[in-house]
Amino acid sequence: MVRVNDGDGVVIDDVRRLRVMGAGVRGARIVERVLPVPLDVVWGVMGDLEGGFGEFQPDMRSVRVLRRDGDRVEALARSRYGLRARFHGVLRPGWCWLQSRFLVIGMAAVDEGGRTRVALTGGVRVPGRAALVPFGARRELERAMARLAERVVP
Amino acid sequence: MPPAEADGPVDRGVALVRAARRGDTLALHDLLDHLTPYIARICRPIALEDGPDATQEALVAVFTSLRSLREPEALYGWVRAISVREAVRVAGRAARARPAELPDVPERGDPQLAADIDDVLARLSPAHRAVLVLRDVEGMDEEAAAALLGVPAGTAKSRLHRARQSFRRAWSA
Repeated sequence: MVRVNDGDGVVIDDVRRLRVMGAGVRGARIVERVLPVPLDVVWGVMGDLEGGFGEFQPDMRSVRVLRRDGDRVEALARSRYGLRARFHGVLRPGWCWLQSRFLVIGMAAVDEGGRTRVALTGGVRVPGRAALVPFGARRELERAMARLAERVVP
Repeated sequence: MPPAEADGPVDRGVALVRAARRGDTLALHDLLDHLTPYIARICRPIALEDGPDATQEALVAVFTSLRSLREPEALYGWVRAISVREAVRVAGRAARARPAELPDVPERGDPQLAADIDDVLARLSPAHRAVLVLRDVEGMDEEAAAALLGVPAGTAKSRLHRARQSFRRAWSA
């Protein structure tokens, strides 16, 4: 039979995976940037849900992780205006996808020769469909990217 | 063949498609995890070193048109067709397409020949690699594989047959 190479695990990197998610969620925008900082530094901020994450993502005053089970995570976020959102999702090194009743947050980061390519997506959900409200989403994502860069680039 | 979990009473992939179409993006996320190895197994032997590009483009095509999949139960056949199409397209675009001339193709399940298969695959055109992948990885017969690819069945069959014979001659020489 035709021999297929082993190692089916790593097929496409996480930034590419985020682009695929962007194709599946109508209205989703993807913002990408290469930051001149190693992946572990960048992900040290992005993946720290109770710390760095809330400091660059839009409208997060505090985030508390309620539960972890393998790569599954449940977290409670509070906005500056006191609104609460309970997120369910997946957190892996270089990859995060979170969903609450009203919001979606997607993040990916991959090494690019000692620097880090970061991709962000997310926004307000359209009820009953795999879709996000497109208006203003890109601007929010670009702001988040700028805050992340300020945070990690020396 | 579809992922192993496909044997359950309600297939996981089908259930995820249904949930994703109701707006659950986490189900869409899990569908990405679920389908990626399946799509890669089809794309890699067709697109060879462009396998990751082909896999990504097939996934984008699948996710973009998930809404248009009328019957979620038809998921794997639909994904397979898209994957083959994208893999052949990406491989062709990469200008690695060879003339549609089949050199030496071993008989299915002949273990002593397995080591040579990678070399043989590399010398085939993407469309003919696709016929082999559909036959051997997906368990389709050559006619069904040829139909999926839009290649005349008789042509595909006879070329594979001829190629097999020439391979055997070369092997025993």
